[in-house]
Amino acid sequence: MLVQKILTRNPKAELYYDLVELFTGITLVGFLWTHMLFVSTILLGSDLFNTLSKSLDDYYLSYVGIPFIVLVFIMHILSAGRRLPTRYQEQKIIWRHAKMLQGTDTWVWVFQAITGAAIFALASIHMFVVLTGWPITATTSAGRVEAFWWFYLVLLLLGEYHAGFGIYRQFVKWGWFPRKPLGYVSKLITVIILTLGVAALWVFLQLGGA
Amino acid sequence: MSTRKFSIFRYNPITPEVKPFMQEYTIEEPPGMTIFVALNKIREELDPTLMFDFVCRAAICGSCAMIINGKPRLACKTLTSDLKGTVTLMPLPVFKLIGDLSVDTGTWFRHLSVKTKSWIHSSKEFDPNAPEDRMDNETALEIYEAERCIECGCCIAGCVTANIREDFLGAAGINRVARFMVDPRDERSKEEYFDVIGSDEGAFGCMGLMACDDNCPMQLPLQLQLSFVRRKMVSFGLSIK
Amino acid sequence: MSNYTTIVSDVLVVGAGLAGERAAIEAASRGLDVIILSLVPPRRSHSTAAQGGCQASLGNCAMGSGDNTDVHFADTVKGSDWGCDQEVARLFVETAPKAVRQMSMWGVPWNRVVGGKKTLPDGREVEDPKEKEGLITARDFGGTAKWRTCYTADGAGHTLQYAVDSVVIKLGITVHDRTEAISLIHDGETCLGVVARCLKTGELRIYLAKSTVIATGGYGRLYGASTNAIINEGNGMSIALNTGLVPLGNMEAVQFHPTGMVPVWILITEGARGDGGYLLDKNHHRFMPDYEPKKKELASRDVVSRRMIQHIRKGHGVDSPYGPHLWLDIRHLGAKHINTNLREIANICKNFNGIDPVNALIPVRPTQHYSMGGVRTNIDGQVYGLKGLFAVGEAACWDLHGFNRLGGNSLAETIVSGWIVGKKMAEYTLGAAELNYQYNNVQGFAKEQQERINNLIAGKQGKENVYALRKEMEQTLMDYVGIFRNGPDLQKAVDNLKEIYHRSLKIGLQSSGKGANPELSTCLRMPGMLRLALCISYGALTRTESRGSHAREDFPKRDDANWLKRTLAYWKEGSDLPDLQYEPVKITELPPGDRGYGESSASSAEGKKQN
Ligand SMILES: Cc1cc2nc3c(=O)[nH]c(=O)nc-3n(C[C@H](O)[C@H](O)[C@H](O)COP(=O)(O)OP(=O)(O)OC[C@H]3O[C@@H](n4cnc5c(N)ncnc54)[C@H](O)[C@@H]3O)c2cc1C
Ligand code: HEM
Ligand code: HEM
Ligand code: SF4
Ligand code: F3S
Ligand code: FES
Repeated sequence: MLVQKILTRNPKAELYYDLVELFTGITLVGFLWTHMLFVSTILLGSDLFNTLSKSLDDYYLSYVGIPFIVLVFIMHILSAGRRLPTRYQEQKIIWRHAKMLQGTDTWVWVFQAITGAAIFALASIHMFVVLTGWPITATTSAGRVEAFWWFYLVLLLLGEYHAGFGIYRQFVKWGWFPRKPLGYVSKLITVIILTLGVAALWVFLQLGGA
Repeated sequence: MSTRKFSIFRYNPITPEVKPFMQEYTIEEPPGMTIFVALNKIREELDPTLMFDFVCRAAICGSCAMIINGKPRLACKTLTSDLKGTVTLMPLPVFKLIGDLSVDTGTWFRHLSVKTKSWIHSSKEFDPNAPEDRMDNETALEIYEAERCIECGCCIAGCVTANIREDFLGAAGINRVARFMVDPRDERSKEEYFDVIGSDEGAFGCMGLMACDDNCPMQLPLQLQLSFVRRKMVSFGLSIK
Repeated sequence: MSNYTTIVSDVLVVGAGLAGERAAIEAASRGLDVIILSLVPPRRSHSTAAQGGCQASLGNCAMGSGDNTDVHFADTVKGSDWGCDQEVARLFVETAPKAVRQMSMWGVPWNRVVGGKKTLPDGREVEDPKEKEGLITARDFGGTAKWRTCYTADGAGHTLQYAVDSVVIKLGITVHDRTEAISLIHDGETCLGVVARCLKTGELRIYLAKSTVIATGGYGRLYGASTNAIINEGNGMSIALNTGLVPLGNMEAVQFHPTGMVPVWILITEGARGDGGYLLDKNHHRFMPDYEPKKKELASRDVVSRRMIQHIRKGHGVDSPYGPHLWLDIRHLGAKHINTNLREIANICKNFNGIDPVNALIPVRPTQHYSMGGVRTNIDGQVYGLKGLFAVGEAACWDLHGFNRLGGNSLAETIVSGWIVGKKMAEYTLGAAELNYQYNNVQGFAKEQQERINNLIAGKQGKENVYALRKEMEQTLMDYVGIFRNGPDLQKAVDNLKEIYHRSLKIGLQSSGKGANPELSTCLRMPGMLRLALCISYGALTRTESRGSHAREDFPKRDDANWLKRTLAYWKEGSDLPDLQYEPVKITELPPGDRGYGESSASSAEGKKQN
């Protein structure tokens, strides 16, 4: 090994990175899916939505939870983001390879990297907007969705894709389940969440228009 | 008899002025023709310069892996009748190109063995007159399950990570370590194993792309082996100081 | 200055199969500097293809109980039809159990005894003793009185080669793969090394060493239908023969394996019959018990192969575009057994024939499989005729196998003779004087090869097409030097091969021959292959008896009075036929007698009658 590498090597660095990736990935997926369930309470009426929002606020969940999620978000970007190819030639190799091989999982990963980068930008904006427009109520939300419904639709699709296949890949990597059934389950959940999300968006739009 | 068109990658490092190109050949296709039969026919009848490798021609030695219509496959056991249209043949990526379809998997895999110290580490002296140490038959079979790898390189060639990271040992490398970890004769400590494979060159470099699992011609349970080693490395890594 | 890269070591091993690597380890662990050359990376050597197993009289499993080295010895000698060297056989059977245990230390995951009752496919009940549980077990193989063949599922050769190679890597032994020895270098008395061609670049190199070991495996690919890897072209034997000083022993002894799969000739291991598979004819009749009531499908290979051809000649074969064949039936062993213990067979059937042996019959016919003959050595592995030259494994005629090798005895031979010969070779090397050579002499050998290459490229000698010649040679051996042989056919073979040999001296390249050109590689080997083919056919023509795998229809009996001797084939420069000499076979313990497979010499004459 090269001298400079011996001197700076932390033999466990990559182990910790991998664990952080595991932990942040699971947490973010857990968050996102819960978040989507919470948001879709709008399907059951504005009152429920408002009550939920308020009780989360009352029990300080938002004040502890939100900074925590933001931190996890950043850690995820650092740990998972290290996999992103930075050199142009690497990116070219990956594209060529994915095209030639038609390996499903390889394509899925390529899109995961792309969606990840997109989420980085979109979700940051979204969080900024929501947090600066505190508190969350059905009316403010409906207003935001009406103005930027396309933004939410894009974020919804990208986010769910990224989370659904992300969790699939984690289970595959850690070997908790065999691949095939795992694929079905994660796809199923993703479809359910997407349906809920689209329906919620629709309700928000109706509300906003009213 | 029907005929079949082949489109084959050509490049000879001794004539670098000739850029890589795809060359087409058309030959007759008898029933049951494998790529092994086809390539030999092309060499013997159309183009004696064509380079490719076969040894056992029975899918047991791992010499003949190449990219067949986009997928890493053993050419000797690929029937042309299972392929549609023109058959496109490319050499495996990642490995050093010797010429045309021939690549140097031998050097790569020897490096892998050296790097992962692929031999039984034992302090025991061999006593020719003593009976052998006992072993559970189940354990023997478990070791064999991982040892079935024929070093063909399909898992390496198909893996994006291995394609962009030169030092990544790939599924074959991680599987190799699994083979020794399940072997009670190997006395290596957690530290030693962790040192070999507990990094991005090994267990943590894998991103779960599963092209290895999809393409292994020996149908090794690579997903299980990779995740087994990953979990082991975490538990070893966390318990050592 | 030399034009050629010259590499010097204490020991040079040509061939990285099991035998070569095992011998190399022995030398390296005594502190010698060893280089191994190989056509392919070691783990691609043909040894990895052996599926069945490796004989050693451990006697651990129930069906092996009572086994010992004497029983193994008797089986080996009978199997060889008294053609083997009995001192060698004795040494071999005594060492085999140790070698197998050593392989266990080195990492081979031999299958182990599991205690308890089990029912064999033929209905017999056996009980493996609890106190043997965990020891190395064995399966049944042809020609053995006890279950003696140690195995790892269906990958005995693979796991052995990987274990031995792992030790080679551990010891840091240098391996130059994709390097082909194309000529020996010697001074008329002592071997000094080889001229080799790099198969990556085409460059010629000189390797010099105090000891050189030929471990290049068999010559199966001289035959059109062979179970062997396509690199098994008898290279090592031909470069030894080319010296004119070194004889090849018993080249006419060619083994045909009963079950090569039609039409790709990939081997279906004897393990299939060992585990209870049957041979059926076109009426799905199990015919082997009719001929061999005692050993049935598991008589020795030469016998089963002959019975199959005999049965086909009686009109009971199944017709196919590739000629008549018979069926191998393993359906009754059940899906579980087939898909675990015989998984490789199942895969081969699926991949290369599109059939699943769980519910389909496998088309089989006897196929060239093993070369008993080879570079003749003494019991220490020292080659006749040149000092400092050794041979091991299938390339050698050590002479453990005589006229017929028992299944499982050749993997065992590689690890046993690799060990023993490796030790003797290391001792010789340690005691040898410093490498002493004449610069001009050594360069001369390399220049001679360079000249051959230049001539081939220039097409100076002629324009014969190497692939066409090759086909003719393969066909000639198939047609006239097969399982049953006779004078007129063999004469035809010799005449044809002589003619092809002369043409092979006039080969011209079609391509440029630059670099690692594959056509050039074949051209360089071709005349040597034809010399081997001539040694086989001429040896067979001259041997007017039947012994082991050498079955003459015109001389159906073994003739111990005249032929209890070993053929030694020399090739004198400029000649187009080998010069045959003979030496007596050493009988130390077991005088010639009946092989006890039920096939007496009289009944092998039946093959002729039923023609
Ligand atoms: C399909 C099949 C199945 C078999 N099954 C069994 C079995 O179950 N049990 C059993 O006991 N036996 C079996 N045998 C026989 C046994 O496998 C072989 O006899 C044995 O492995 C030969 O080992 P080896 O080391 O002598 O040669 P190989 O393993 O053939 O090695 C030869 C080596 O020499 C090298 N070489 C050749 N020429 C040159 C050259 N000119 N320059 C440099 N290197 C060269 C090659 O690269 C290779 O490394 C089987 C054989 C076949 C064909
Ligand atoms: C709500 C937001 C996000 C969720 C729920 C999420 C979830 C996940 C999960 C579960 C994985 C799988 C991790 C693994 O295989 O170990 C993953 C991988 C990844 N994520 Fe995210 N992620 C989010 C945001 C982001 C962002 C903002 C980026 C921006 C860079 C990103 C980039 C990546 C990349 C590149 C991978 C692939 C890593 C690999 O394959 O190992 N993700 N994500
Ligand atoms: C941490 C802080 C977050 C808070 C407090 C929050 C809150 C909200 C709220 C209140 C809405 C309703 C619409 C609105 O008011 O704008 C919403 C919608 C949405 N959020 Fe978030 N969000 C957070 C993080 C994220 C992240 C990280 C993602 C990443 C993918 C995300 C994706 C979405 C999507 C897709 C919708 C639209 C839902 C629908 O389909 O109806 N949010 N969020
Ligand atoms: S793991 Fe499978 S694909 Fe990879 S080298 Fe081994 S046999 Fe080939
Ligand atoms: S394809 Fe590569 S990234 Fe991992 S799962 Fe297989 S080694
Ligand atoms: S030639 Fe051996 S695997 Fe294909």
